[in-house]
Amino acid sequence: MKHKISVNINGKQCEGEVEGRELLVNFLREHQSLTGTHIGCDTSSCGACTIHLNGAATKSCTVLAVQADGAEVTTIEGMATNGELHPLQAGFKEEHGLQCGFCTPGMIMTAADLLKNNPNPSEHEIREALEGNICRCTGYHNIVRSIQHAAKNMNGVTA
Amino acid sequence: MLVKGNHEFNISKEMLWSYLMDPEVLAKITPGISELEPTGEDSYNTISNMKIGPVKGSFKGKLNVIDKEEPSSFAIDMEQLSKIGNAHGKISMKISDADNGSTNLAFNGDVKLSGMIARMGQRVLSGVANLIIKEVFASLETHISESTA
Amino acid sequence: MTNYIGKSVKRVEDKRFITGQGKYTDDIKIPGMVHAYILRSPYAHAHVKSIDTAEASKVPGVISIITGADIPEAIAGVPCGWQVDFKNGDTMKEPPHPLLVRKTVRHVGDGVVLVVAESKAIAKDAADMIDVDYDVLDAVADPKAAAQSGAPLVHPDAPGNLCFDWELGNPKEEVAAALAGAHHVTELDFVNQRVIPNAMETRGVVAQYDTAYDKYTIYTSTQNPHLIRLLMCAFVLGIPEHKVRVVGPDVGGGFGSKIFHYTEEALLVWASKHLNLPIKWSSDRSEAFLTDAHGRDHASNAKMGFDKDGNIVALQATTYANLGAYLSTFAPAVPTYLHGTLMQGLYTTPKVNVDVKGVFTHTNAVDAYRGAGRPEATYLLERLLDLGALEMDMDPTELRRKNFIPAFDGVEQEGYQTQVALQYDSGNYEPVLDRALEMVGYENFRKEQAAAASSNKILGIGFSTYIEACGIAPSAVVGALGARAGLFESAQVRVQPTGKVSVYTGSHSHGQGHETTFAQIVADRMGIPLDDVEIIHGDSDSVAFGMGTYGSRSLAVGGSAIVKSIDKVLEKGAKVAAHLLESSVDDLDYADGKWTVKGTDKSVSFGDVSLTAYVPHNYPEGLEPGLDFSSFYDPANFTYPFGAHVAIVEIDKETGAVKLKRFIAVDDVGNVINPMIVDGQIHGGLAQGIGQAMYEGALFDDTGQLINGSYMDYCMPRADALPSFEIDRTVTPCPHNPLGVKGAGEAGCIGSTPAVVNAVVDALWKAGYKVKDVPMPMTPERVWTAMQG
Repeated sequence: MKHKISVNINGKQCEGEVEGRELLVNFLREHQSLTGTHIGCDTSSCGACTIHLNGAATKSCTVLAVQADGAEVTTIEGMATNGELHPLQAGFKEEHGLQCGFCTPGMIMTAADLLKNNPNPSEHEIREALEGNICRCTGYHNIVRSIQHAAKNMNGVTA
Repeated sequence: MLVKGNHEFNISKEMLWSYLMDPEVLAKITPGISELEPTGEDSYNTISNMKIGPVKGSFKGKLNVIDKEEPSSFAIDMEQLSKIGNAHGKISMKISDADNGSTNLAFNGDVKLSGMIARMGQRVLSGVANLIIKEVFASLETHISESTA
Repeated sequence: MTNYIGKSVKRVEDKRFITGQGKYTDDIKIPGMVHAYILRSPYAHAHVKSIDTAEASKVPGVISIITGADIPEAIAGVPCGWQVDFKNGDTMKEPPHPLLVRKTVRHVGDGVVLVVAESKAIAKDAADMIDVDYDVLDAVADPKAAAQSGAPLVHPDAPGNLCFDWELGNPKEEVAAALAGAHHVTELDFVNQRVIPNAMETRGVVAQYDTAYDKYTIYTSTQNPHLIRLLMCAFVLGIPEHKVRVVGPDVGGGFGSKIFHYTEEALLVWASKHLNLPIKWSSDRSEAFLTDAHGRDHASNAKMGFDKDGNIVALQATTYANLGAYLSTFAPAVPTYLHGTLMQGLYTTPKVNVDVKGVFTHTNAVDAYRGAGRPEATYLLERLLDLGALEMDMDPTELRRKNFIPAFDGVEQEGYQTQVALQYDSGNYEPVLDRALEMVGYENFRKEQAAAASSNKILGIGFSTYIEACGIAPSAVVGALGARAGLFESAQVRVQPTGKVSVYTGSHSHGQGHETTFAQIVADRMGIPLDDVEIIHGDSDSVAFGMGTYGSRSLAVGGSAIVKSIDKVLEKGAKVAAHLLESSVDDLDYADGKWTVKGTDKSVSFGDVSLTAYVPHNYPEGLEPGLDFSSFYDPANFTYPFGAHVAIVEIDKETGAVKLKRFIAVDDVGNVINPMIVDGQIHGGLAQGIGQAMYEGALFDDTGQLINGSYMDYCMPRADALPSFEIDRTVTPCPHNPLGVKGAGEAGCIGSTPAVVNAVVDALWKAGYKVKDVPMPMTPERVWTAMQG
């Protein structure tokens, strides 16, 4: 049986018909063609599919699409505003926080949630916050730098 | 996957034996078992449902009671197939007198897993299996006290 | 003057990735595309008695169900790309690797049935309803056990499960004699455990057959599209190569595991024509655990002999290498020519013998994983050196210095000829160790360590001074060693009429940043802005040819090919410029994007020359129009990066838990084009090397089941498990390629693993536990157990 859902994605109201068992990540990727949200595992372990669900970083493989009915979702595609990169996006580029780019959207979404709740995280706090996201390329070294870079810029200090 | 444990019952060896050999009782007390259909002497087809962490499946299989030495030992030889993986194994049961007139049932076996249940969460699975077997015995104890009350 | 080379230019490719616009294989949608799911064997070894697809084929939305019997006999399977012979000259055993099994499954995950349906969910539902009746057989997963008599056979025509029995170096008797005469022999049994590459993007394939053009297009998450095309067309499907386009789009990491030609690629291509439908297959993570080629998996014994002063007199290494059930593309090369040849290390060891048995087991294939053979060789050598130092009560750094090959630049001094076939290009080994010790604060550390020895938290330091052979590789050399392909690279530099430059490279970037590094080379050499250069890769229809990216070869081989084409462009451009300037080519200088007549201010810009080349109204007589050159570069030798890695650990004596406190790496990768990118490559390599030492390892039970086949069960380093790395470099240019570069992709992974284990052994030894080895991954339980004696 199909269910009608309506989700506000990146500020736009999106309608769709989904199966009850369909995951939110599937709805984003297959129904909405928002392929910036990636699938890296099948056990909710890697964080590549992290999005914001009603403002909180959430692994979109742990949420059924029907559960997102009426919710607000932000994906990596919605992070830049008017062509201006989000400070985290700029930070990842500036500090070489990505290589293959596959984990990057999830990393940025997780980091955005961290900086919202903790604008001045220590290196240790950043590393703890990234515990649910796996990167296989960078060894996390430059991801930490990227988030520090963004934190400085978001706090009005030039990095 | 190794399973091992024991349970004490407040009944005689002979009584415990008769309970354990009654398929209706076994079907009733085993968690997840929804069907235990005799196919011959000491042979059954089984249908059971299991959920272990993120792994959930419906198993179809065969169960044979073998190596019977009434009332002190027997073994269960089983093969359980499911879409999430299969389990093949033999579990030996030893029934012996314990202190204070009760009866001890000790189980010991090796169950080979394949498929998804083998590669996801196997490290916790033997703990789960031991728990399930213990639940069986706890249920049996409840059943005994209810039916003898 | 260089504007770009040597500078940390921010990556050109980042923009699409940070905005979610990267296009990976699973992001590709083609109108009318259907989806495939492969039902795989749950058993490591079994005969398939019957397959019942009746119920499954009734599921609405199912399009086709294909078993091994449906695939034409002529399609035998995917080939192996490297032949390694037995030491007695016999050819290696090379059993077929069918696209779907016909009778016998040989590892958990062996493909049995292909289900094609309107969606992946439907295909999975239908696969669940297929009944495969198996006759389960005994299996063996461990390479040493598989080589014992009586072990279950993986292939009936490979007795003893031996694929090859290979040897390299000095005669065994000479090595044995030298060991017998040694003052001290350090001996250790090693397990270099199997690790799983785990690129974050799982593999995927989209295949389409176009009846109008009789042409196939395949998108696949690969590190080398052209090689896939060659192998698939010529050796698997027998379809004409010019009728197949292979695209490796954005690829989410590879680390070796996406070099190889996998069965799913050929299977999907075949099925796309068979069904006349575009088909997508994307691997689940749990499927990836069972089907991506794994890495390492060596069981070794090694003996290193020293004289009374600590000089190494001989090395004997004996290894059982697990190859898995089928030979993956480069599998035989990894434990032999990429492993045995590295046993000289940085040392002057006069006698070296390496004996390797390649063994089939009922597990999925083992092939190149970041470093590929070189980490295993380095692990063995560097563990023996640190342990030898402990046993002889010498300082491990002094022991190394005594044995280092003296500096040679490969120009004034000849390259260094090893006992194990290779000739090193250039090296200067003491400075990397010196710099690392300086960064560590070695003397102070030893004091701190002594002070902590009696406390609950003990400290240890471990060293690894490694060398690797990369920039793979001179075709004639690898051909003589059994490679069935050349390992050159191609590059085309196409100057557009307006002076903008498109560069087509056969290298493939899956995180390495070629779009930036290669553009830096082009922009600098041509004196044009970086923005005027675009790097195109990964598409066999646009790039002439390519051998792909692995073995830290892209810059040394692919970059050199680009330089050759740039030189040709500038040479022809000079002829056009000379004509326009009414001068001769010899009188021209080229700098900052213009040709100038020497000693004058008369000049013509690169853009004017390129426009003239395409609008040749006023043009040199006899010269072809256009400005577009292709080159193939075949390297003269491997390149030999080296470095010194140092790990500092703290061990909780009560729990055995190891904390990696610091990691210092000083690498020499030759000249550096983009320091930021090189640093990033080192960081990533370190994380994987440290991961093997501390966290990772595939576990099989005695029936051949992988028992940690998910991200819940297979432990990889997460952000909170690693420190920030302390890295630096020295520069010893490569003498035989035009850029002087050596390669950086694997260095971090090759050097780091033994340093961490050495640090743990050092901590234990100095605190009074005479522990020679802690098996990897060094979990708290294993460390604690080792401490109990």
